[in-house]
Amino acid sequence: MATSKKSSELLESMYSVIALLFILVACVELCDAAAAVDVYRLIQYDMSGSPFGSRFAALNHHAASSRFPPGADLSRTVLIIPLRELNITFVREYITQKKPLGGLLFLLPEVLSFKHGGNKQVPEKEKMKKLLAELERLLVHSNIPYPVYFAFENDEIDTVLADIKKNDAMGQPATATTGGYKLVIPTAEPKKVASPTITNIQGWLSGLKADGDANQLPTIAIVASYDTFGAAPALSVGSDSNGSGIVALLEIARLFSLLYSNPKTRGRYNLLFGLTSGGPYNYNGTQKWLRSFDQRLRESIDYAICLNSIGSWDNELWIHVSKPPENAYIKQIFEGFSNVAEELDLKVGLKHKKINISNPRVAWEHEQFSRLRVTAATLSELSVAPELFEGTGGLFDGRQYVNETAIIRGVKLIAESLARHIYGHQGKNVQLFADESSLAVNPAYIRSWLDLLSQTPRVAPFLSKNDPFVMALKKELADHADEVNVQHENLEGIFTFYDSTSARLNIHQVASVTFDLLLLLVLGSYLIVLFCFLVITTRGVDELISLFRRPPSRKVKTA
Amino acid sequence: MTMFHFFNCAILTFGPHAVYYSATPLSEYDTLGTSVKAALVYLGTALVKLVCLATFLQVSENDGFDPYQELLKALIGFIDVAGLFFALTQLTHRNISQNHKFQAVGLGWAFADSVLHRLAPLWVGARGLEFTWDYILQGLEANANLVLSISLAALGSLIWLRKNKPKTLIPIIYACAGIVATMPSITSYLRRGLEWHFPKVVGFELFTSLVMAFISWQLFSACQRPSA
Repeated sequence: MATSKKSSELLESMYSVIALLFILVACVELCDAAAAVDVYRLIQYDMSGSPFGSRFAALNHHAASSRFPPGADLSRTVLIIPLRELNITFVREYITQKKPLGGLLFLLPEVLSFKHGGNKQVPEKEKMKKLLAELERLLVHSNIPYPVYFAFENDEIDTVLADIKKNDAMGQPATATTGGYKLVIPTAEPKKVASPTITNIQGWLSGLKADGDANQLPTIAIVASYDTFGAAPALSVGSDSNGSGIVALLEIARLFSLLYSNPKTRGRYNLLFGLTSGGPYNYNGTQKWLRSFDQRLRESIDYAICLNSIGSWDNELWIHVSKPPENAYIKQIFEGFSNVAEELDLKVGLKHKKINISNPRVAWEHEQFSRLRVTAATLSELSVAPELFEGTGGLFDGRQYVNETAIIRGVKLIAESLARHIYGHQGKNVQLFADESSLAVNPAYIRSWLDLLSQTPRVAPFLSKNDPFVMALKKELADHADEVNVQHENLEGIFTFYDSTSARLNIHQVASVTFDLLLLLVLGSYLIVLFCFLVITTRGVDELISLFRRPPSRKVKTA
Repeated sequence: MTMFHFFNCAILTFGPHAVYYSATPLSEYDTLGTSVKAALVYLGTALVKLVCLATFLQVSENDGFDPYQELLKALIGFIDVAGLFFALTQLTHRNISQNHKFQAVGLGWAFADSVLHRLAPLWVGARGLEFTWDYILQGLEANANLVLSISLAALGSLIWLRKNKPKTLIPIIYACAGIVATMPSITSYLRRGLEWHFPKVVGFELFTSLVMAFISWQLFSACQRPSA
């Protein structure tokens, strides 16, 4: 009994060792891909229940280039299209006619990458900007039932693509039996982002209240929205829209905090700085922020200046208003800006767009102020109001498309105009923020913040409540303002977003099944030949023949 | 590229051993025990070699050919020969003719070598999606190794087990044994020093193994004539 117990214990330990070995052996799956690339998925969202964007994330199909043989079945193929070979009509046809496709992979030039591109100049800037804008518009407003990804070109992918083109040219699209390349992205099904939050940050700089003055001081508000929206949310850094606005706001806050730090130079106006979120979604965040204001505070706002894309203009800026230009307040603001503009040798134009209360579309941030009867204007380089999800920081809106000098001139314009209004210097030719003075605009500050913004994708549903970037903005504003408040709200219900914005693509070079079948045949014949050879040389030819002859039957013996 | 490819490469690497065993008279005389014992001796030799390599060898940064290190590796390689000597002479075999003894020992030796050096890479690598020619070339290398091991075992048995040899042939026997024993160093020199590609090296191995097998077969039959 004892021995059998011992042996059973031994057997059990053996079994556990064997089981462990099996698990180890089954789990070892080393990365053996020909190339592994970072890829970024097209955005997936629902608007009022209608689905938009790419509805799938996982990918496991063969690759083909745009030179595939006509009439081939592409429902299990991924098309790899580099931007320089992009034919928009072809892609539009595929998407609008809902032709079956396994997936799309767009290759963007490496200079556009904020991780590797550096500050190299983009060749043919304008053409690329137009092409990317058109592609983005097509993709963002379509419902695409297969995965769409963006990747940056590098040497590995280029060699793979050249190989695929060669194969396609020979008329052999990749399928299971003819070999080629397989693209694999092993991710899970994309899930909804639960209750996306938008975070508004406000900074308050108190003005000088004279003794015995019971009335509330008037307030001037300067607002910019900081979040972006683009075809690839992991790439939406929005350097111009609206990185330039944020940088300008921070610099103006810095300059005025210097002025307001000394009671002798503190103006008789309060300054309210607002960094709002939810910009692309009809300025939802601004609306919620304004609604949270005290009635008295709202009434005390003299006017608000909203900043939207002031980073890539040459000589002309536009002031967009919703109140008619004959309005006294609007006239005052516009004259103030024009006078300073003349001195700075640039032009400022006035554009009037009426608000339609029944239309939910809010194209400019000042419209949210106007709906609550606060005088406001938007300063922008754009002369026409952008459409929904346009001009909100897309694929082309990177560091290369923003000009620091433009932002510096914009800051000077706004700061001087504000200062003249606050200190009552209208009409006088006084330059407060002159170069080489202690209140000069700091180009290094602007450059460093612009660089940071150009490397931070800021799509609101993917920014958590305590996102480090939002905290950084709050801290920076706290350095300049007396009081900083953060307001968390939920993004309005008609928008739903899905996660899985970036992944890692594995490109495998696979051999066809026929190759392995052939190999099996060759090996089988080799082993048989080896067997016969050895039998002949060691035992003799008779033995070989006798292997195939049946042994003599018993009947012969008994007979 | 999936289990199919793994299966193909496995039969290329290990099939010849099984075929050799079943085709030649080895299976009739039931020499499996000898082969298994030879495989265990190979395992022991490999462990001893590992310890020596770890103790005496320095890891070089570049992948070039360092003559001093290679000489050291060759010397340690002779532990292989010692192991083979042990397997041939010291292990008590049943009464099998010398002809079959060396074949059984060589077969066991080569099989252990293939399993230890090639099974793990094959299992891990050949099952993935990615296709490379490496595993097929590795299988061909295993075949060449089988032939080389058997020739080395033959020459070894001639040197140590056969007492009466024609005088003229003795230096040739020793020379051939020396060449076969230093084959690993020669291939590593070709790969690192001359920078030959893997297919070329495998081709060279196959060619030399066939040549050495032929020579040792001739030597063996030449030595067999006086006693026959």
